[in-house]
Amino acid sequence: MITIKNASKAYGKQAKVLDDINLSIDPGEFVSIVGQSGAGKTTLVKILIGEERVDSGQVIAGDWDITKISRREIPYLRRQIGVIFQDFKLLPKKTLAENVAFALEVSGGTPAKINKIVPSVMKIVGLDDKKGRYPNEVSGGEKQRAAIARALVHQPKILLADEPTGNLDAINANEIIDLLLRINKFGTTVILVTHNKEIVNYLNRRVVTMEHGRIISDQEKGKYLL
Amino acid sequence: MLSLFRIIKFSFQDIARNVWLSIATITILLLALFSINTLMTVRVISDSASKAVQEKIDISLYIKPETPEADIMALKSKIESSPRVKNIVYISKESALANFRDKYKNNQEVLAALKELGRNPLSPSLTIIPSNFSESNLLINELKMLDSQIIESRDFADNAIILNKINSITDRVNEVGLFIIAIFILTSLLVVYNTVRVAIYTHRQEIEIMRLVGASYSFIYLPYVVSAFVYTLLSIMIIIAIFYPFLTLLQPYLEVFFMGYNVNILSYFISNFWQVFGLQFLVILAINIFASLFAVRRYAKV
Repeated sequence: MITIKNASKAYGKQAKVLDDINLSIDPGEFVSIVGQSGAGKTTLVKILIGEERVDSGQVIAGDWDITKISRREIPYLRRQIGVIFQDFKLLPKKTLAENVAFALEVSGGTPAKINKIVPSVMKIVGLDDKKGRYPNEVSGGEKQRAAIARALVHQPKILLADEPTGNLDAINANEIIDLLLRINKFGTTVILVTHNKEIVNYLNRRVVTMEHGRIISDQEKGKYLL
Repeated sequence: MLSLFRIIKFSFQDIARNVWLSIATITILLLALFSINTLMTVRVISDSASKAVQEKIDISLYIKPETPEADIMALKSKIESSPRVKNIVYISKESALANFRDKYKNNQEVLAALKELGRNPLSPSLTIIPSNFSESNLLINELKMLDSQIIESRDFADNAIILNKINSITDRVNEVGLFIIAIFILTSLLVVYNTVRVAIYTHRQEIEIMRLVGASYSFIYLPYVVSAFVYTLLSIMIIIAIFYPFLTLLQPYLEVFFMGYNVNILSYFISNFWQVFGLQFLVILAINIFASLFAVRRYAKV
């Protein structure tokens, strides 16, 4: 599903933010990537969605060789990899349902497809009764669930979650993690980037630990090491 | 077709949901357009006034009083054949006297002196209107060279001085006016450009999200192009709605101020409607679209 071979990345003449990364993730896996700030976790996410490019090495996600992807192909890549962020990244002037529908609209989805998929993903994330609300009218947990719904509309094979619980309290954070586990059960590969020790230990799934741009540990059913 | 419909829908949704930003952008466009049109009005008034004064200045050839009218008409035809002559008016001795009496009808001393004289002392004349005011000096030279025994006086010294002065003033007014207009238009366009960039800056998060959810480049850029079109169209329509009543109010004051001269600002803006407002629409639209694309490009970088 995802193969990263000898990938390195540096910003200018500074030290490498990714240093000879080798990682393979199988379809349907739930992988937590952990590490302290500056470990290179977010850079790895940016590389996987084509926002950054590696200086050397190779990155393959599904059918895409991201190291060779052209600028015009990036929107198509992003429709196949769902992403959620710590700050939700919802459009404030659109309702939750419009935010979710937006991802389909901009990729040319037909009205029939939008009318079918949007209510179903809103139901999956438990927001079917709040689809007409604007982001500033709902809680942080609900915003993140709307962001997950938006990430799911293209039925992606990979879901990248970059610190999805960073802005949430413990209860909301657990709800989001449970939602990600449910999505993973449907067969979607989930990559969770976090530095939340409790969540990683609670998951008891594969844990990849990064430090100073390198992978220092990769454990099946691992624990938070740092 | 579906994409185009969505692009237009996103654009109108954005305009409506950011209504204060939309109003602010349109207001800035309106202020710029109003400034440009006001300066244009001033220039058209000064140009019309200058032309009106020029048309009032004619060149007169005085003919010997006893000359038969047939000879005068022959001379008139000869002068009329020059391409530098727009029109010639023949004023007979009798007409000159009638005009003189009319001019001094309130001055009893002058009229008494005329009566005392007992005859018509005025000469017939040919009043020549140049076809091109800036070439009046060439026409005067042509008239000076004219070989005709019936001409009594061809002293155009005063005319030449006035013509030169008016030419010089007109040229200077044109130069300074154009310079001021150019500076003003440039300033207005820069203000418009920056306003649009600031408006796009407030959408930077939206643009970032659009590209993260896989929006194609046309979906990221085109709604802003449509918004630019709508803002420009609305501004032009509003400025037309404001400016024509303003000109209608101004026109009577201009008629009083330039009494006797033909200065009609309203008819100028009506007869040049498409050139004036069509051009303004195209220029403002171009600036608007350019600023939008430039600003969006900055935030839509992969």
